[in-house]
Amino acid sequence: MKIMNYKLLSCLPLLSLVLLMSACEDEQYAVPTLPQELRNDVIKRTLGPNLVGLNIEFAYGIAIPKSLGKLVSAEVEASIAGAEATYLDNKSYSTNGSGQDVGVDVGSKSVNSGNKTTVTFTKDTIAATLRYFYRIPASAKGKEVSFTFSAKASNGQTVSYKMGPYKIAEMDMVLDLAVKDNDAAYISIEDMAVYGPAAAATNAAKIDLVYLYRVVPNVTFLHALVAPSAKTYLPGVTLPAGVSKSAKINKVWALRDFHLARLQYGIYIDDVDFQQLDLSGSPDFAINLKAESGAWVETADGKYRAYIYVNSIDNTTKSAKISIKRYTMK
Amino acid sequence: MVKYIKLMSTLFFTLALVACNEEFPIDEDGLLITTRTQCYVSNFEMLGSDFQTVRTKAAVIDTVAQTVNVEVAYGTDLKNLYPQFSLVTDAKLDPKITGKVDFSDLANPKKYTVVSGNRKIKKEYTLNVTVQKL
Repeated sequence: MKIMNYKLLSCLPLLSLVLLMSACEDEQYAVPTLPQELRNDVIKRTLGPNLVGLNIEFAYGIAIPKSLGKLVSAEVEASIAGAEATYLDNKSYSTNGSGQDVGVDVGSKSVNSGNKTTVTFTKDTIAATLRYFYRIPASAKGKEVSFTFSAKASNGQTVSYKMGPYKIAEMDMVLDLAVKDNDAAYISIEDMAVYGPAAAATNAAKIDLVYLYRVVPNVTFLHALVAPSAKTYLPGVTLPAGVSKSAKINKVWALRDFHLARLQYGIYIDDVDFQQLDLSGSPDFAINLKAESGAWVETADGKYRAYIYVNSIDNTTKSAKISIKRYTMK
Repeated sequence: MVKYIKLMSTLFFTLALVACNEEFPIDEDGLLITTRTQCYVSNFEMLGSDFQTVRTKAAVIDTVAQTVNVEVAYGTDLKNLYPQFSLVTDAKLDPKITGKVDFSDLANPKKYTVVSGNRKIKKEYTLNVTVQKL
């Protein structure tokens, strides 16, 4: 036992020396060499599902070493031409000490031509980050769209970067519909619109819900969304001729979709939420709706599923502001 | 040295035997069966489909009559409710509540059995739901 211990001990200094030597062989830091070429990079700035009418935003960074020349143009080609509001910002942004984005003009206003959006640089620029806003057109609904970002330098070099594909949602969205008790109270999910009594009579087959505000003693009724079929919960409402459809409604609390609520909550309702929604056994009324609450709705024929978000309520004017995301079932 | 090794192994063996002999009985749900004999509902809550309370006031729990009386707000969707029982320490509920419960049949109140910590005492509570009147 003792002999073994001694042998081990004698090995230790040697082992330490080897360790010490290898530990000292640190690699020298070297400043990375700048590739002598035009370079680019892209990040996507928007989150959540891509809805028709909304923007997909990117930041496109391009740079070339000063010795090689300057930037001439930047271009984005979308696989599906964007809506008219699509543009490539002609400003290069940087963030100041207060966290504000400050833009500096670097080129002429972007020009849309077919699927392409181009900015031509007018200032001597060797590095820029341009923002690209792709307004999703109705023609892209349910399809996939991808983007090719490219840039040209004065020395003839070109560079490009592919992004995508991105799925464009099937959902439709409408924001800030004003509903008012006994007035603009008839909601059509099919039309994604609100009608007054006269218009509701002419569109009777399309009316899915009635908005009403009631103060009932001893009971909390207040703001309600009720299907015309649930007469018990429509006190004092005279339905226009022919308005009699049913619907399934499920009250939800604290589901503040980012697109509908436009608040700080990063929650997004996507196509898949509607596909997996199960409203069997849900009632045809929802009373006591509060601001920032909502309700899942399925039309009587099962053709549409929707989420109605209550943006705001007003007890004195007996009105509310609602926003709707709707999905057409296949 | 050998002496020590022998001593140590004897000690470990004894320890292992003791550890194996200790009994921690568990029931069919993998829950510890304890010595507690208390068996009652201590609190009750009822949530709607939006996970907000639908009670109009605190539920009345009668541990002698073994009833829980709860009044829910006018316009409550009775088919999609989530009852929540708070029980005395170590007790459990049968049947288990695993999701939405349909309370629309008000004439036939649902019954839930509280099982004590020692799993020997069972008390059946009747959950009476009433809807707030207009």
